[in-house]
Amino acid sequence: MKRKHPRVTRHGAAGLAGLTAIALLAAGCSAGGGGATASGSSSGTAGVTITVALPTDPPPAADLDAFTKQTGIKVTWASSDWDSLQTKISAAATANTYFADVTNVDWSRVGQLGKLGWFQPLEKYLDANALKADMPQLGSFTLGGHIVGVPYDSSYMVTTVNTDLFTKAGITTMPTTIDEYTNDLKQIKSKGVVEYPLNIPFAAAEGLSTYWYETTNAFGGTVLDASGKPQFTDPGSPGYKAAQWMVDAIKNGLVPPGNINVNDAQGEQTLMAQGMAASTFSDYSGLINSLYNVTDSSKVTGKIQYLPTPGVTGPAGNLSNPDGMGIPTQAKNPAAAAKFIEWFNSASTQEDFAGLNGQDKVWGSSFIPSRLSVVEKLSQAGSLADGAHLAAMLKTASPVFPQGAPTWYPTFSNAVYTNLHAAATGSMSVADAISAIAAVAKQQASNG
Amino acid sequence: MSAPRRSARPTPRVDEATRGAVVEVDRSDAATSTTRPRRWRFDALPYVLVAPVAIFIVGLALVPAAFTIIESFFTVDALDPPTRFTGLGNFVALFHNEAVRNSVGNTAFYVLVGVALSTVLGIGMAVLLQHPFRGRGVVIAILILPWALPGVVEGILWSGIFDPNSGLINGLVATLHLGAGNGVLLGQNHLLTLALIELVQVWQMTPLSTLLIFAALQLIPGEIYEAAVVDGANQWRSFMSITLPLARPGIAVAMVQALIATLNIFDQPYVLNGAASTGSSVTMETYFVSFQNLNFGQGYALSLVVALVTVALSLVVVRFVYRKVEL
Repeated sequence: MKRKHPRVTRHGAAGLAGLTAIALLAAGCSAGGGGATASGSSSGTAGVTITVALPTDPPPAADLDAFTKQTGIKVTWASSDWDSLQTKISAAATANTYFADVTNVDWSRVGQLGKLGWFQPLEKYLDANALKADMPQLGSFTLGGHIVGVPYDSSYMVTTVNTDLFTKAGITTMPTTIDEYTNDLKQIKSKGVVEYPLNIPFAAAEGLSTYWYETTNAFGGTVLDASGKPQFTDPGSPGYKAAQWMVDAIKNGLVPPGNINVNDAQGEQTLMAQGMAASTFSDYSGLINSLYNVTDSSKVTGKIQYLPTPGVTGPAGNLSNPDGMGIPTQAKNPAAAAKFIEWFNSASTQEDFAGLNGQDKVWGSSFIPSRLSVVEKLSQAGSLADGAHLAAMLKTASPVFPQGAPTWYPTFSNAVYTNLHAAATGSMSVADAISAIAAVAKQQASNG
Repeated sequence: MSAPRRSARPTPRVDEATRGAVVEVDRSDAATSTTRPRRWRFDALPYVLVAPVAIFIVGLALVPAAFTIIESFFTVDALDPPTRFTGLGNFVALFHNEAVRNSVGNTAFYVLVGVALSTVLGIGMAVLLQHPFRGRGVVIAILILPWALPGVVEGILWSGIFDPNSGLINGLVATLHLGAGNGVLLGQNHLLTLALIELVQVWQMTPLSTLLIFAALQLIPGEIYEAAVVDGANQWRSFMSITLPLARPGIAVAMVQALIATLNIFDQPYVLNGAASTGSSVTMETYFVSFQNLNFGQGYALSLVVALVTVALSLVVVRFVYRKVEL
């Protein structure tokens, strides 16, 4: 039989083209009407599919399946790196369009997000008092009494030390003050144990700002007051002293010269984990479990210990640096999203993620649970390296900005890390760097 | 050889540019024809066929462009509502922004060095590839790899190479006892930082420049070179008098693509040097202003400036480098 070739007729082609044009126009029109999605959001939950966009890999299927079985809500997980996720959140919110039902709320953006109303207040859906009682870092996500996000890990800044290198330098008692700590580092260097004992990530990135906040806290102060006024301009102020101490450390050879272009993650992986640095003053909680004790990526297994942050006269507190999750205003299924957040951050789920209930539900991206009760349980079970220290420090971990991060925090942080980086490279003095940072803070605070 | 057959009826000649609107009749035939000219009839088909692409381009390019131009004259700041007319306010504010001014200088360096270097290297590599040799296809396939890699991946790859503690370059510097003790450190010296960042971008751009120029060289007939040899021209003279002039269309296109890439450089300085002023580019500042500070009005203004500069410089390149070549 002769095969008949399909033939596109003149009318057929015109029709196809016309349909495509209409479809494109319709798509354009519907995109423009994206603002209606909020009012069209669903309050029902069973049978609903929600999109969760976070800068981490998804939990094991067993976890998400358990949630679906429990609630009837299906989850589509969209992983993205932190930076591009923040851009997507801003772009979608500005365009008033739907992007995800649950997404990342970083502590540093709480001020911006709270003022802009880009996220729904979670006290509408969750028991705020119950959360507060067991989540010391909820304060970092609270602005004007509204909960913008719920922390899903309890990252906070800690001092880590390589006890092996300290011992080799003849140091048997760990330092409790910043002077003792500095002297010990000098001793490690002078005895030739390692050439550069201290890791400070001086690359112009957020990790440098965080390091300065924690060091300022150790020197007994804060960087901004409740109205956003800089507290670091006086050479005797903790913020100024912290900046000077950090820059002196690289100038005096305690920090590798190459660290001017090393960010926090690189410093952890190529210096601390390789045994090339003896200490990181402002490190991240949980790294002993997730990096330093992992034999594939570390040469210092079992040698790193958390140290209560050395302060002026004794151990200082720790600053919170947690990641949270919230519900964008344009979420299609806020009720279902709230159920997901409640489940994801419940004590039982956090125990699953941490491996207390078997290996099939362990979530690799979970560093330290945000619930104090779970951290204590893990510590008691012996499954959290140096857990006793961690649990104690978590109790006193406080937000970088107790009054909530200012709306202009990203601009401020940019000024902090670019100017401290410049001071570390020697292209500007500490005094000039501090002046430049203060000028930005004053200008932004006066703009409101 | 038989003569072409001629239709007994006059042949309509369609002006392709205005098809659907005008149908002309060949008048030399019309004089001998008994048939009346065909009646003008509107033909919608071409418009319908073009409509999807036209809507696509208008929707995704022209509308956003128009939106950017208009909004650049307004204060569009999520933290400072409402949106209001500000005239040239955004442009003035950007002019007074030290970080933006610094990034303009950095970007000028990237453009000058990047376009010059990628074009010279592109010409050189294209000439080396001009004559067929065994394995040329494989060489071209390998050559194109850097261009095919995303900028962020390249940035990460090169940040490993430049790593001050465990990178290849500093390992070599230490092994060969070069440098002043600290090795090659990105961020330590402004000019060195710019040069190293641009080196990475040139590494990425040169394959495309090579291919564009190589394509132009493939159109040059071998007979021209043979005639030049007969006339006593040496290789250098052939290169200067034949290769370069006839490759100008390809060189112009290569230069324009390099110009666009360098003016919009983002991934390499951001991944290699963070937000440091020693390497920040105008597009990085656009990102910071728009998505970090949420001042979209100033972001639009900066984008508009970059777009206008790109168009202006591209026109300059086309005016002075491009020549129509008919072989």
